[in-house]
Amino acid sequence: MPTVLGVDRVSKAFGERQVLSALSFAIERGEVYGLVGPNGAGKTTLINIACLVVPPDAGAVTLNGRPVTANAHARVGVASQDVALYRDLTSEQNLEFFAALYGLTGARRSRRVAVCLSDVGLEDRADTIISLLSGGMRRRLHIAVAMLHQPDLLILDEPTVGLDLESRHRIWNVVRTVADDGGTVLVTTHQLEEAEALCHRIGILHYGRLVAEGPMAELRRHVAAAELAIIDAEDLGAVRRRADELGLTHRPALAAVAVWLPERQSLDRVAALFSGIELRSVTLKPVGLEEVVAETTQAARINRPTAQPPNRETA
Amino acid sequence: MLALTVTRRILTELWHTRRSLIFWALFPALMLLLFGLIYAGDSSPADSFNYTAPGILIGAAFFFSCLGGPIAAIVAERERNTLKRLLLSPLSGTAYFLGLLLAFLVVAAGQTVVVYAIAFAFGGSFRGSLVLGTLVVVLSVASYVGLGFVFGSHFTKRTEEVNGPVAAIGVPLLVLGGTFFPSSVLPDYLYRIAHLNPIFHMNEAMDAVSAEELGAGAIVDHLVFLVLFAGATLAFGVQSYRAMLQRERVL
Repeated sequence: MPTVLGVDRVSKAFGERQVLSALSFAIERGEVYGLVGPNGAGKTTLINIACLVVPPDAGAVTLNGRPVTANAHARVGVASQDVALYRDLTSEQNLEFFAALYGLTGARRSRRVAVCLSDVGLEDRADTIISLLSGGMRRRLHIAVAMLHQPDLLILDEPTVGLDLESRHRIWNVVRTVADDGGTVLVTTHQLEEAEALCHRIGILHYGRLVAEGPMAELRRHVAAAELAIIDAEDLGAVRRRADELGLTHRPALAAVAVWLPERQSLDRVAALFSGIELRSVTLKPVGLEEVVAETTQAARINRPTAQPPNRETA
Repeated sequence: MLALTVTRRILTELWHTRRSLIFWALFPALMLLLFGLIYAGDSSPADSFNYTAPGILIGAAFFFSCLGGPIAAIVAERERNTLKRLLLSPLSGTAYFLGLLLAFLVVAAGQTVVVYAIAFAFGGSFRGSLVLGTLVVVLSVASYVGLGFVFGSHFTKRTEEVNGPVAAIGVPLLVLGGTFFPSSVLPDYLYRIAHLNPIFHMNEAMDAVSAEELGAGAIVDHLVFLVLFAGATLAFGVQSYRAMLQRERVL
């Protein structure tokens, strides 16, 4: 697959603060690439560099194999984190305006406006003034604006922030539709389960460095566990102590302890490992992006190599 | 073409909200009625409205729409985050500025109709050349929009700050420009200072064409000043817009 976005050793600092440090990755055509990381990791700066809003201090960004130039905006569609629409215009008028800015005229413009409204499920809201739309609808329209000119690369910066589950599902469907049609998407998000479900590959950004990257199946190898046992008990300290005695890694979970199991085990077997402790509940769950992010960023924080991937064939 | 797209968008927004359009029509209408009737006293109002209409058009109508309007438009772009979206589009600063200018020329045309309709209703008239009058209107609007662009890009960050530069800088210029009373009542030193004020030249030129029926030769100095001022503010306005976009880039 040809590379759509190439980021090669890109660095950027604002004053004394180094935001990106020799960052490299590539996104291939038809791929949904997720960039995750905490606030201040450099996600938005990277997006600004990718669409030439901000020049990098060092390194190069290519689009379809060529350096990003001033006319990149014709080939990139960006839906920034903040919804940007004209509140006193209707949905259709907003799309018409931005389509005209991108040089779409006549029947082609009308067709694209109709298609984009339909893609984001707002065809019945074409004549509604923006100020009368819900937050989720506005955000969907905001994304539709970025899709209007059929860009080679669609960049979505935190597309589902602050939305309810239904609106999030609708936006996920939009991303899937774009990908199914052969489009390429770069999405930044804090919603890890969203990235896990949507993205073909995920990059974990931590203080301007890519600490891990790959498909979810590959990323799981950064966590030396086959499965997690989420254990809730009267005395969580006792659970932690028992895990230590058993040589099992454990991490705090929401009002529980997450114990890393080196191999899959039945619930009964796990409960037996913690016999003598009054357990409230034991839940088994696969290793998710949350654990991968926690592990890789912690490893980066204390400046040590990340956990060696377990050999699954022999585990 | 992109400028016309911006113009259409601004006019559509104004039409949807209508509030601004109503007040931009109501304010000069009421001001003209008041000043026309005050200056008429017990005599026929025709002469009073002849001489009041140009000043009201320039000072009350265009001042608030074409100076305050562009400031509010730029601030709104920033607050709605659409400025960044425009930054990522092929729209240039010049095209944006021209679009804004054309939109407010349309608004100014409507205000001109309202002001002179009222003047006509009280026996007033537009005595001079319509072409020359149109030229003064275009130069006045361009000067105001240019100033608005500079204020909006540099001095105003939020909606609640829009009135600041309009009141602090604009209103003194209005008074010094002879909008509400003839500039002949100004003391000599203020009269000389007034020559540096674009609103003075707008008023004098419009007054000469509309009420005095004078030709281009009589107002050439005012026209030259307005051409230079409009050109300078347009250039500075576009520069300011670009500088503002640069600032927005790093935010």
